[in-house]
Amino acid sequence: MGCSSSLPDRSSGRLVGPNLENGGAPDSKNLRVKLVLLGDSGVGKSCIVLRFVRGQFDPTSKVTVGASFLSQTIALQDSTTVKFEIWDTAGQERYAALAPLYYRGAAVAVVVYDITSPESFSKAQYWVKELQKHGSPDIVMALVGNKADLHEKREVSVQEGIDYAEKNGMFFIETSAKTADNINQLFEEIAKRLPRSTAQ
Amino acid sequence: MADQSFNLLHTLEPRRDSYGFALRPQHAQRYRQYANIYKEEEEERSDRWKDFLEQLVGHAQPCSSEKEHKHALQTEAADQKVEINSERLGEGEDTSNKKSITDGSSESDKETKASKVQTWAQIRSSLDVIENMMSSRVKKNQNIKDELITIGEKNLQSIEKTGSLKASEEFEEEVCINGMLSDIVKASTAENAEDGIYESKNSSGSEVIFGNGVSRNENSAMEEIAMDDGVSYSVNAGERKKPVNDGISVSVDTNGAENAVSDGFYGSVNYIGAEKPVEDGFSFDPFFPWKEELESLVRGGVPKDLRGEVWQAFVGVKAHRVERYYHDLLAQERNTDKNKESDDLSTAASKWKRQIEKDIPRTFPGHPALDENGRNSLRRLLLAYAQHNPSVGYCQAMNFFAGLLLLLMPEENAFWALVGILDDYFEGYYTEEMIESQVDQLVFEELMRDRFPKLVDHLDYLGVQVAWISGPWFLSIFVNTLPWESVLRVWDVLLYEGNRVMLFRTALALMELYGPALVTTKDAGDATTLSQSLAGSTFDSSQLVLTACMGFLAVTEARLEELREKHRPAVLVVVEERSKKGSIWKDSKGLATKLYSFKHDPVSLIEEKKTSKGGEMLAKGDKSHLERHSSNLDDLLDRLAVDPEVDSLPDLQEQVVWLKVELCRLLEEKRSAVLRAEELETALMEMVKQDNRRQLSARVEQLEQEVAHLQQALTDKKEQESAMLKVLMRVEQEQKVTEDARICAEQDAAAQKYAVHVLQEKYEKAVGSLVEMEKRVVMAESMLEATLQYQTGQVKAHCSPRALPNQGSTQESTRKSLLPFGLGWRDRNKSKPASAEESSVSKSTNEPIDASTPQKRTSEQE
Repeated sequence: MGCSSSLPDRSSGRLVGPNLENGGAPDSKNLRVKLVLLGDSGVGKSCIVLRFVRGQFDPTSKVTVGASFLSQTIALQDSTTVKFEIWDTAGQERYAALAPLYYRGAAVAVVVYDITSPESFSKAQYWVKELQKHGSPDIVMALVGNKADLHEKREVSVQEGIDYAEKNGMFFIETSAKTADNINQLFEEIAKRLPRSTAQ
Repeated sequence: MADQSFNLLHTLEPRRDSYGFALRPQHAQRYRQYANIYKEEEEERSDRWKDFLEQLVGHAQPCSSEKEHKHALQTEAADQKVEINSERLGEGEDTSNKKSITDGSSESDKETKASKVQTWAQIRSSLDVIENMMSSRVKKNQNIKDELITIGEKNLQSIEKTGSLKASEEFEEEVCINGMLSDIVKASTAENAEDGIYESKNSSGSEVIFGNGVSRNENSAMEEIAMDDGVSYSVNAGERKKPVNDGISVSVDTNGAENAVSDGFYGSVNYIGAEKPVEDGFSFDPFFPWKEELESLVRGGVPKDLRGEVWQAFVGVKAHRVERYYHDLLAQERNTDKNKESDDLSTAASKWKRQIEKDIPRTFPGHPALDENGRNSLRRLLLAYAQHNPSVGYCQAMNFFAGLLLLLMPEENAFWALVGILDDYFEGYYTEEMIESQVDQLVFEELMRDRFPKLVDHLDYLGVQVAWISGPWFLSIFVNTLPWESVLRVWDVLLYEGNRVMLFRTALALMELYGPALVTTKDAGDATTLSQSLAGSTFDSSQLVLTACMGFLAVTEARLEELREKHRPAVLVVVEERSKKGSIWKDSKGLATKLYSFKHDPVSLIEEKKTSKGGEMLAKGDKSHLERHSSNLDDLLDRLAVDPEVDSLPDLQEQVVWLKVELCRLLEEKRSAVLRAEELETALMEMVKQDNRRQLSARVEQLEQEVAHLQQALTDKKEQESAMLKVLMRVEQEQKVTEDARICAEQDAAAQKYAVHVLQEKYEKAVGSLVEMEKRVVMAESMLEATLQYQTGQVKAHCSPRALPNQGSTQESTRKSLLPFGLGWRDRNKSKPASAEESSVSKSTNEPIDASTPQKRTSEQE
């Protein structure tokens, strides 16, 4: 009599245990993604993040020293949520020495350039190479041409961006943090491309 | 400047704080809460400082002649400032505007704060005393370098020394003093060189405090007495202080020379740096009795109005300052601008320039003081610094430091303060590889592990690296990461202490304050966000500084240096690996060509070497900065080959033979050098591999930790299970107990049933006897009836037939009266057991009676 009543108790305890333990951990419905933004100084990395996270645009934003962190959660159509943990890195060349600290273990890297600056585009290519060498092998990479609103000053054509991205198996998009153009699309597209089984 | 913005911005609250910096909207509320506290603290500390400085002036009274001298110097400096300004006017810039920016707080708003400013202005002279103490530190550092050079070039010794001193004569202002004193310096350094490193350094350290190298070395015995003799001390000090200023100018001179000379010895300077703090410990104390008081004052915060001046004193602006140097840098900068990128150096320079241009509008955007003119000053300052120290050039974060300094002091002073901070306090921090800042992160992580193991474990568990949080703190020296009041308070202490100890202590204090909150976070994102937002709301600056200064006394420069030594190799390997991947081939080729050219034309190389030693600080080709290691190697090679080359001047044939031999030797050398290079390369590869191994082992360690975590969880689970089992056992036991109780109860019930049974039997017996009794009653009744019949029979016989019906009725009535009696008794008997027994039992037992008596009862009822 006593035994029969205690058995369900024990088994239910077992079922609850692991759930409690991994309470904070993501399941397949709620992903947590480390994302790192890389690119030349002044291409608008911080602005993209601020636009995405806070919906703001500040034309006189501050210089990023070291790196700064923000996070944002989005819901997808298939009712999964993705929490982006975004590392916005400093753009100056010498800060590249510290970049591995931030892109190590990142599931997503967003490489940003300024469509009005060919120099920033070549810098973006440098970052892509660096990530291919030192990033995690299954990293999802996006190439972003920012400041798309300044099309009259454009110096890097859309085709160049597309070509380079294609060659390197990246996802390409042009955005404007100023007008909020394609900012949410960028992150949604990234979310769709995440490998579901391994993402954490 | 700060005052101006202060007044301006009282009305602009709360979008900006009292320093004119933007406030985040979420902090406006808290800032307003703290604004009053800040005000009170400010009043209190300005009183304390005033007292202290007045006291200092009192102390300094005996040597008034020296004060006069100082005043003269100050006015001189002021004159020069005007001169520079007027020169700029010549370039078509608006001086009046500039003045409002570049001038110190004392001049910016006379109306509002005139009285206060006046007090400060009076007191300012007493700052000189502090300045002396502080600048002694600057000079001491230089002296250490000095010593190094002497040691490094022992074979050349003091001849070389004078050479380098002479070379610095391009700083014309000091030529005469220099000429006069160089001999003395030569003598003293030669003397010092004979002592051990430590000893000679000590002597030079105290020498500088008195600024009196001559008497120190010659009358050292006398000074010993003076130190012991408290009474004569002040008099002696008065006497000695006279040549202080000479001392300054001398060291400024050597400064110029050193900057060039010491380059070659960069690596070794670092190592000797480790001994600095030890020396710091004692050299100040005996001579500056008020040092402790000053320290506590600094920890309490420097008054706003005084901050600019005090900071300059701390950093040693005066000691660093070289007349017209800043101006020359700017002029040179303009020249290169005009000439446009001609040589390879300017590509680096243009890189900085572009970066500076990008960053200027992004430095404290919207700050009222950083208008067009403010930004121009900022640009000049940053460009000048990049020119001054090409090994650093420009690094993001410096724009904030320069901006901050510009808000507190005139432009040129800000430049020298920046030079002091970046070259002395943060040497190697903002260079191309940022080696020291990476080292410091490792050091900080180790300190964290020592101090807050649980917090670090938690962060590890979440996958958060300490450097993610602390990196930006260190690189920006807390600018933009803490509220401004706190930033300035931290800077007060940092600049006073003259090293990066306060950086570590503050970061540790922040971890102490916010560690408990961080431990509760559930994922990496939350932990990082929380750490940022908590640090950003550290408005209680006094608590922060106090925690930092009092809570982490074990964190000293000596300890830090020890840890840095420990961690530096790891960083260097990684940096080397990086640069190898990037430009190893170019580099090694560069080395090869250098070797080649050396063999072809060694003399020119030596000459080149000499010119760079000659102290051309402003020289464009400051390549030695970039390739220190290789230049060291060159140096070595130089020395190997110089002597035979230069010393040999025999006749031609001999020379040819000798040259052939030499050529063979050189070829041999070359071959061995190539071999050595290969060897080194394989060693390097080995090291890199080892590093990989290290990374792997780190990974393994991490995994092991995870395993440990999991095991921990498992044991926890097991414990839980056993606990559950225990609970179950208990429950079972309880069940058993209850069952026992139940059995007991059942037994009881059976016993009771038995009792009932017994009772029933008794009852049945009783009923039996009752029936018997009834039978007897019936019998008695029938007997009675019989008797009655008999009686009536007799009466019939005796009475008349008339009386007969009456008789019958009476007989009926008696019978009736008798019957109820008998039945009533029986009924009473019957109801008794019914109430005593259980109803069920009684019913069953009653049955027979009921069955036997229904007729009777009905008859009775009728």
